[in-house]
Amino acid sequence: MTTLERRYRWLMRAYPNDYRADYLEELVGILLDSAKPGQALPPAREAFALITGGIRTRIIAAARGAAWTDGLHKGIVVLAVLNLAVLIPYAGRIPLWLALSAAALLLILRGHVWPALPVAGVVAVKLTAITMGRPWLDATLLPIFPDGWWAGPALYGSGGPIAPLASNVLIVGGLLILAASRRRPRTHSWWWLATVPLVAGSVPASLDIDAGSPTAVARICLEVTLLVGAAVAGHLTADPRWAIAASLYAVPALVALCEGIEDVTRQDVAHATLLVVLVLAAAVVPFRARHRILL
Amino acid sequence: MSKRSPGLSEQTYFVLAALLDGPLHGHAIIKKVVDLSEGRITLPVGTLYGALDRLAANGIITIEREEIFNGRKRRYFRITDEGDGMVRAEARRMQQAASVILRPRSLGASFA
Repeated sequence: MTTLERRYRWLMRAYPNDYRADYLEELVGILLDSAKPGQALPPAREAFALITGGIRTRIIAAARGAAWTDGLHKGIVVLAVLNLAVLIPYAGRIPLWLALSAAALLLILRGHVWPALPVAGVVAVKLTAITMGRPWLDATLLPIFPDGWWAGPALYGSGGPIAPLASNVLIVGGLLILAASRRRPRTHSWWWLATVPLVAGSVPASLDIDAGSPTAVARICLEVTLLVGAAVAGHLTADPRWAIAASLYAVPALVALCEGIEDVTRQDVAHATLLVVLVLAAAVVPFRARHRILL
Repeated sequence: MSKRSPGLSEQTYFVLAALLDGPLHGHAIIKKVVDLSEGRITLPVGTLYGALDRLAANGIITIEREEIFNGRKRRYFRITDEGDGMVRAEARRMQQAASVILRPRSLGASFA
């Protein structure tokens, strides 16, 4: 095997496994037929086309099955990631609830709807209790301050109770709908877990955008990346599942903005506007794409 | 009311045009597109196969057969009747659009 062939095979990893199993040899054959004698490096244009082609193929392959159940499931996964991320700075104070929130995320991620329901349910009740200052389920000492080196306010100390409640109602309500649909959702990638540390400690109500805090910047960057990704995926597949997930994500963030309307800054309004524009783009794009054949 | 344009890009147009004379495999499509476009369009392999997959999924082309060449599988793609109609309609549309610019001007237009 030549160096060029090895490099082309490496680039082909951008494609899903089943696609590579069927077409790897065919594509590598054509790439090598088109190569100049003695060439060792893939041309940048071919390399870029293979990477984008692989990502495109992965997105198109992901748009299978009922769009609304998968979109709902994706949205619940994102909300469960954020639920867990919010609790991370308080791990030493509420280890049980952090562990249960992590368990809920894992069960939701892998599509185990029925086992996820009671776990997500008790987490929802406890988080609502914390926001309302009630000692439900166990005697947690309130307010809950972050552990050692984490700076920041007490858990849910900078916003009202409605946004966290909205998020948990969407998670539990969504799980109930998925359970009633009797279709087991697909498993989602373990890569979703990698987003948890990126947004650890970020609460929509206390995003310190003015000060450019690393937590706020990381969350907004991830948010924009995922929402633009949702619009691109909708454009490529003409499928609304990513728009459904994006809409679910936006609900608690916008509720948090409305809840703290008295203290809202221009940056908060700009952030909310960006969120709404990206969600609307993700929602509209699939319907426009239906009329087009994309190359 | 005219039917909405299917949104054929120039690359798709030349891929479909390359298949009008009969089924071709991927490498032959790339070479024929270069010929037809007089060297203007060189399709990267990743772009071509993404397009072929989408065109096949939309019933505009189909896989005619598979064969083994030099130990590697390769597929031959054939344009369907729908694809044939689509690319010819696009050609007529472009011909009409080109005629607006390229037709001989009437003498009166010079003095307008």
